[in-house]
Formats: sequence, C-alpha cells, structure tokens
Amino acid sequence: MNGLRLVLLVALQALFLGEVAPFGEWSRPQWALWALLMLPPQLGPFTKLLAGFGMGLGLDIALGSYGHHMVAGTVLGGALPTIHSLFSPRDGYEVTNKPTVRDLGTRWVIGVTLSAALLYHLALVLVDTWHAHLLGAAIWPALTSAVWTTFCCLLMHLLVIPPGRKNSSL
Amino acid sequence: MRNLWLLLQRNAFFLAFAGLLVLSLMVLVQNDGSARSSWFRATGGVAALVEDQQQQWANYLRLAEQNSDLAAQNAELREQLLSMRTSSEWQTDPDLGWKVKKGWLVKAPDGQPRSMALGTPGANGDIRIQSGVLAFGSAFGSVVDLGQEHVRILPLLNTAGTWSCRLGQNGAVAPLTWDGRDPNRFSLNDVPRYAQFQAGDTVFTSGYDLKFPEGISVGTVIEEGPASGSEFKTVYVAPLLDLTSVRHIEFIRNISDSERTVLAQPLPAP
Repeated sequence: MNGLRLVLLVALQALFLGEVAPFGEWSRPQWALWALLMLPPQLGPFTKLLAGFGMGLGLDIALGSYGHHMVAGTVLGGALPTIHSLFSPRDGYEVTNKPTVRDLGTRWVIGVTLSAALLYHLALVLVDTWHAHLLGAAIWPALTSAVWTTFCCLLMHLLVIPPGRKNSSL
Repeated sequence: MRNLWLLLQRNAFFLAFAGLLVLSLMVLVQNDGSARSSWFRATGGVAALVEDQQQQWANYLRLAEQNSDLAAQNAELREQLLSMRTSSEWQTDPDLGWKVKKGWLVKAPDGQPRSMALGTPGANGDIRIQSGVLAFGSAFGSVVDLGQEHVRILPLLNTAGTWSCRLGQNGAVAPLTWDGRDPNRFSLNDVPRYAQFQAGDTVFTSGYDLKFPEGISVGTVIEEGPASGSEFKTVYVAPLLDLTSVRHIEFIRNISDSERTVLAQPLPAP
C-alpha cells in the first residue's frame, strides 16, 4: 500500500500537481513527500531510507532531473527515523499508530511534515544551486516552498484521511 | 575480523545512508554540468592543496641534501674567490689586442671630489701607470701612481679625471667629467649640437685616451643639460655601477702599450 502510494504520488506530481505553484518558484510543492510521510513511524530505518531513495529516484526518472531528487530523498530518508524519534510521544509509538492527525495529533503531523519539507527543500536547493554565491538568493524560495509543501501535505491529509475517518482510500 | 564485522553491523544504517548518498551524488555529478564543474573545482582545489602539502614535506625531507649541496657550492665559490685573489698572470685577448689582469681594491673612492682609490697588485704584478681599470666590465678609472704592492687609481668618481667617451656605439665623442656633487650624475661636456641621443642610451669609452679599448660601457644618458656655447651641449650620464662599493677590479693594458704611448706623445717643437 505504501509503495503504491509512493508511485502514485510521484506520477501525480510529475504529471499534474508539480505545476500547482501559485507564486512561482516561491511555492514549488513536493507532493510526493506526503507519500513518504505516510509511512508508519514504527517502520525500521532501512525501510525509510530506501523509501526516500526510491521516491527520489522515481521523481528523477519522472521529471528528468538526474540525481537531484535522489540526493534530497536519500537525505530525507536517512533523517526520517531521527525526525520520528524527535516527535515521538512520551511512551513511544504504538504498533497501531498511523501518521495521521487522528492517531498522532495535529501538532505531530505539522511538526514532522514541516521538518521533513524543510530538510528536503534545503537539500534540493543545495544540489540545484551548487555554487555558494548563488545559495543566498535561492534559500528563501526554498523556505517558502517548504511551507507551501507542508500546506499541500496537510491538504492531502484532510482530503484523503479526514480526522474522523479510520481508514483512507489511498 | 569479528570485531570489524560487529563494527560494520553496528553502523550498517549509516553505511547504507552514505552509500546511497554517494550513489545519488555520482548520478548527479555525471548528469549535471553545473554540479560537475563545481565538483571538479572543489576536488581540484583539494588536490592542489594536498600536492602543495606533499611538496612542502618533500622539501623539508630534502633539507639536509640541499644544505649539503649549498655547502659544496659555497666551498667552490670560496675556492674561486681565493684563486681570483691569488691569480697574478696577465691574460691576453688577441682579438681585442688587450691584456687583462685581475686585482682588487684596498680602498674604494668615498664620493669626495678628490678621493682616490687604492688597488693591488702594484709594480710587482707588472701593473703600469696609465693602465685602465675595469669593474664588472665597466670603466672604473686608471692607474696614476705605482707602489710595489699597491697602485693609486684615479677613479671616474674624481673631479680631476677627464675620460673620452662616445654617445652610443657610433655617436659623438666628448669628454666625461664629474663635478664632485652627485656620485650618480656625470657630465658629458661639449657634445656637438647635432648629436642625436635619448635618455637611456649607453655611453661607451671611445678608446682615444689609450687607457681603455673602445666600447667599454660607462653609463647611461639621463637627460640633456644646459648648452655650453652655441655649438655644444652638455649631457648628464648615470654610471652603470656604484663606484663606491666596488671590490674586484681588472687592470687592462694594450699589447702594444709602449709603442702607442711613445707615438702618442706630442711632437717636439721645431
């Protein structure tokens, strides 16, 4: 299910959703992150790492951006276990916990999504820009895009898994 | 081996992360021109840094060898210097028709208007009065007085001397003098007004005073001075070397010196 979700989101982003940028480069969303963030936090770190790498690989193949999303996805996949442990409840995650507002709360979802989006967008802008002297100008659009991605992910949460619903269709 | 395996197992996630990151970066660098140029620049800088450090270490390790080489060179130079000082033979240049003998100054001119220089060897070294004296291939003065071991030299840096010089290789001939004021400013007097020259031109000996062969460099033109009369002008000349700090000199003498001296004497009045 998680794999299917990842493939679907990568395809959707590449085909349609990537263009949903009302403020141009200042709001470039990464919809596929939502699929990665929907991985249960109890999963092992290797799975998360491979999922991040796979998501980046898929995006690169779909968007023709060789290596950029792979790097950012690997960074995020590698950091995801740490992000999950930073935002973990006091008693840890329960086996049945899903990364939804209903199970882990709005604060958790926003915190994890925003952290992941920031990390992903920063890694992406780093490999997109490469040169230190261009980084200063590129970092602000990356930050606002991270906020926009967070907003988009929350929208997906609300659309696909409303707080009151137990199971999602995706 | 077991410990290594345990270490790898303990850091398996980090290793997997690093491996995937390296793989991603390789794909990126291979396909993105900007990333590739940045990568090459960064690695080039690091490589240069490493090479520079390596060179420094290599130089440091070769220090003893270099010291030994320098010591050998130093010994060789000292030996040359010693042989130069003890050389007492005239060496003949048949092409020029002049003989040369090495010597050195005991006292250099001190920049005072009437200051003389003292050199060695003297009469025992077969030095004669009116022999020309060179320093570093440039005119320095002429022998005016002889002792057994030493000679008195009238240097260019003396107001009593007058030296026949030529502006350039084929220019006008005029006498060079020093007015006793600025050691870096000589005067070429009575230069014909038609003489063509410019600042930086070399002034050579003309050879007419019989002390030097023609074409020995003396100095370079600084500027044109005030006109001396309507037909002549003065040219200021800077010496080629610091005459007050000369140490090694060469005495020069024409092979037919005696004959030239006799024939150059003015005819007796009838």
